[in-house]
Amino acid sequence: MSNAIPYLPRGVRTHYDRIRGRNVLLGPERALMLDEIGHAIIAELDGKRTETQIAADLATRYGAPVEAVSVDVAEFLTDLADKRLVERRDP
Amino acid sequence: MAWTKPKAVEIN
Repeated sequence: MSNAIPYLPRGVRTHYDRIRGRNVLLGPERALMLDEIGHAIIAELDGKRTETQIAADLATRYGAPVEAVSVDVAEFLTDLADKRLVERRDP
Repeated sequence: MAWTKPKAVEIN
């Protein structure tokens, strides 16, 4: 699990698509439709907490094993980082 | 809602 602090870079934001009834992550020239868990993770990116802290908070909220949540959060954010929709910085 | 693997699907 990464000790980095994930955040949405300039030009990336979430938007509620009323037509689809889904939350969308909007970036330069691309858009990704988020499911509820995906949106919950993105909503936690405050630019202050580490991935470890975010995963622990989500595990508590959803009553899920922190190990499983940590793996899912790391994979999800890495996928978005590869698409340049999430960035990470050292604490 | 229970925890499930998060998904982000690209809209083309």
